[in-house]
Amino acid sequence: MAAVKPIIEIKDLSFAYDGKTVLEDLSICIPENQFTVILGRNGSGKSTLLRLMAGLLPVHQGSILTKGKNLRTYTRRQRSGLLGFLPQKHKAVFPFSVDEVVLTGRAAHIKMVPSKEDRIKRDEAIEMLGIRHLRNRKYSELSGGEQQLVMIARALAQQPKMLLLDEPISHLDYNNQIDLLRLLKYLVSLGISIVAVLHDPNLALFYGDYFILLDHKRAEEADRSNVLNMQITDIIFSQNIRRIEHDGVQLFIPEK
Amino acid sequence: MNRKFAITILYVLPIPVLILSLLIGSSVKVGIYDIYDLLFRPEYSSDLTRTIIFDIRLPRILLVFITGGMLALTGSVLQAVFRNPLVDPYVLGLSSGAAFGAALGIASHVIPVKLSAFIFGLVAVALSWFMARKNKEVSIVSLILAGIITNGIFTSLLTIVQIMSDPFKLQSIVHWIMGNFHNASWDQLSMIMLPVMAGCIIIFVLRWKLNVLALGDEEAASSGLNPNRLKIWVLLAATLAGSAVVAVSGIIGLYGLIIPHITRMLFGVDNRRTLIYNLLLGGSFLVIIDNFSRTMAGYEIPIGVFTMLVGAPFFIWLLKKSNIGWQQ
Amino acid sequence: MRISNYIYLNCFSLCIVVLMVACKGNTAQEKQYTDIQVTDFRGQKLQLEQPAQKVVCLIESALSGIYMLGQQESVVGVPGDVYRGENWDRYADLDIRIKNKSLPTPGNWDFVSLEQVVGLEPDLVIIWSSQIQAIENIERFDIPVYAVMLHDIDDVFKEISDLGKLFGREERASELIGFTKAELGKLKQIQITKNRKTAYFMWAQGINETSGSNSMVESLFQLAGVKNACELPDEHVTINIEKLYDWDPDMIVMWYNEKLNPADVISNPLLKGLKAVQNENVYELPSAFECDFWTLKFLYSSQLVHFWAYGNTDMSSEPAADAMLQFLYNNNKTDE
Repeated sequence: MAAVKPIIEIKDLSFAYDGKTVLEDLSICIPENQFTVILGRNGSGKSTLLRLMAGLLPVHQGSILTKGKNLRTYTRRQRSGLLGFLPQKHKAVFPFSVDEVVLTGRAAHIKMVPSKEDRIKRDEAIEMLGIRHLRNRKYSELSGGEQQLVMIARALAQQPKMLLLDEPISHLDYNNQIDLLRLLKYLVSLGISIVAVLHDPNLALFYGDYFILLDHKRAEEADRSNVLNMQITDIIFSQNIRRIEHDGVQLFIPEK
Repeated sequence: MNRKFAITILYVLPIPVLILSLLIGSSVKVGIYDIYDLLFRPEYSSDLTRTIIFDIRLPRILLVFITGGMLALTGSVLQAVFRNPLVDPYVLGLSSGAAFGAALGIASHVIPVKLSAFIFGLVAVALSWFMARKNKEVSIVSLILAGIITNGIFTSLLTIVQIMSDPFKLQSIVHWIMGNFHNASWDQLSMIMLPVMAGCIIIFVLRWKLNVLALGDEEAASSGLNPNRLKIWVLLAATLAGSAVVAVSGIIGLYGLIIPHITRMLFGVDNRRTLIYNLLLGGSFLVIIDNFSRTMAGYEIPIGVFTMLVGAPFFIWLLKKSNIGWQQ
Repeated sequence: MRISNYIYLNCFSLCIVVLMVACKGNTAQEKQYTDIQVTDFRGQKLQLEQPAQKVVCLIESALSGIYMLGQQESVVGVPGDVYRGENWDRYADLDIRIKNKSLPTPGNWDFVSLEQVVGLEPDLVIIWSSQIQAIENIERFDIPVYAVMLHDIDDVFKEISDLGKLFGREERASELIGFTKAELGKLKQIQITKNRKTAYFMWAQGINETSGSNSMVESLFQLAGVKNACELPDEHVTINIEKLYDWDPDMIVMWYNEKLNPADVISNPLLKGLKAVQNENVYELPSAFECDFWTLKFLYSSQLVHFWAYGNTDMSSEPAADAMLQFLYNNNKTDE
């Protein structure tokens, strides 16, 4: 159990898609103000878990308490101030400008059209991520890394306590991956809890504070000190993966 | 700066278009001098001029303007809701559903024409949507294919109504599937005003939220909107306005596709503003097209002929050009 | 910017509303006509205070009727068909304005230009009764409408008699009807002695298109003393060839056809098993104008079909249309 108080507590959570069980009897906690990484193989239910936490999928069995209360008891507006969610890859159909995209993060607060306050909140989010130069560009014409920044700015315009990100770096080049993880780390330092699904164990271990390990409908949690000693870690990174130690850092590399 | 200029033109455009269209007509008896008389020297003006200008041309021009505006507006709204730049009331089958509903209403006398048009317009949109849906996803092309099927179904049903019904009751099938305005009257205009106004008000209230919807369902939900409820409201409003105009005009193919694209190219994508632009541009442009339809031959040429001839190549061009093509 | 948008929109919709209100007032004007009364094919009563003098006729067959009544001067608008093909030659002979193409055509088939109709300021419009919307609109301008729907020969008689009243030419109308009925009577006397033959009617669209028992074709065949092979009730119906073999008619009567002639039908391999084809009993009505059986000219078609079916004891050769046309159209000048 994490030492800090949890922002999300999951108890006995089960979930099935079309009769197929994806998650079974999960009980885990997500700590506040930390960078939590969800690790697991393809199809282990990481995205499902993230969507359940974001309230995008209904909880039928078990419970998820966010800040001590069931997510369903919050209004949509309260929920939007609690957490922001970033899907894996956002497909832009219409050439909206970056300004317009970020502004949509304020949707919960807007009755008809955005007010001056909403525009101020948008500008703050844009400043925070340092993407002022992109403001009038078309979102659909940006690079993958820039698009990801815009979507984070959009989520931040909601002013959430927590960001949930589904594989935020999987479409980025290595430099951009590291830049983005550093940015998330910086957001943690500003008091925003981060939960992200990642695939790369090295990056996860380098930036993550806390870990949720998913395998075969089960989940376990670990902090940085004991994640490497857990059996489930070996299961997730098993085939043809070797661990080496370099400068006191554990690295996962492919088997020869 | 350039865009500002274009917007100014757009706002002013309907006025000269409407006035000039009043001067154009198939009747040889009413020329510009008669209209001058009517306006400035009413004592010299004949009843005939008055009748032709105020009871024939004016209601028709206004009806065409409203229809054009509504088709463009519903087209752009449907595109935002379905996140699909290639749909419009015609592609989705809304038009053929509403036309069938209207024909059924006229032939059966059981349900009111407008209600029937609205219900079947809605049924058609729902049908296309559910046919195209697979794994909770609707791809751009599958929605278009589903729309083709829906169109086929309702055009066939329309033909059946046509065959079964008393020739005293129904107008020719060509009226419905090629759309035209030669029966325009004040009565028709006042008949569509209520649903059109209601639809417009709802869409107008929700105009900014369309921007959020256009980004995607999860994005909208995570920023605190209920995308499904919002979609239902917007679709109801769009179908209400769209089916009302189809019930009087018939199917004017692909018009709701052309105008929103032109608007998007000229004025961007922000639905807060483009809805009004679509309304104005769609209205003005259809009035211009209808002027051809009224005057090219002695008799009337269905207006749908013109919009399809312009729209079809445009549609193919868009399909080829859009890099958001075939998969998702 | 936004505020000006609102103002603009408000002004615009206000204008529309004001115009709507302003223009609704001046349509209803009750007038009492009593002198001429006719009930049209909708069952609608029609009253004129004087014979029609400016008529827009949107039905080609009714136009023929008007010319038979000698009322061409009263016509101010004609259907678009009149300027096409054979019709044009024929009507050009009857009316110099058609020859010069100077008579306006405010509509064709379904597509009626309301503005043109109203612009011609007619005191009567003649139109198919299926054009409900157009009729509704025209009547809104207080223009009397005579709506027509022809199902059988009696309807044609009713139409010509009504037109006679509307144009104040009742005498001429009854003369026309009397002539036609007398000529038809001659056919009837002959037919009793013979066995009834069956005939299949083929429209210009092809061998599959025919007419059933609720049609002018049925009427025509009855007058000619033959039985319609097609027993379906439909006015116009598309059948398949198999059905035609079921019926196996004694003769095939073709509507005037620009692409096919009887020899083509006889040599069609699909049809070679038919009695009518084997015996080469395939005939084509010679002209759409002369045989138009939505007018009194159905007389000529009846004579032809009768002759093809049974021959004619009085005549050694095919009957000619000349005498009939002479009476129906040209005779009217002497009648003044």
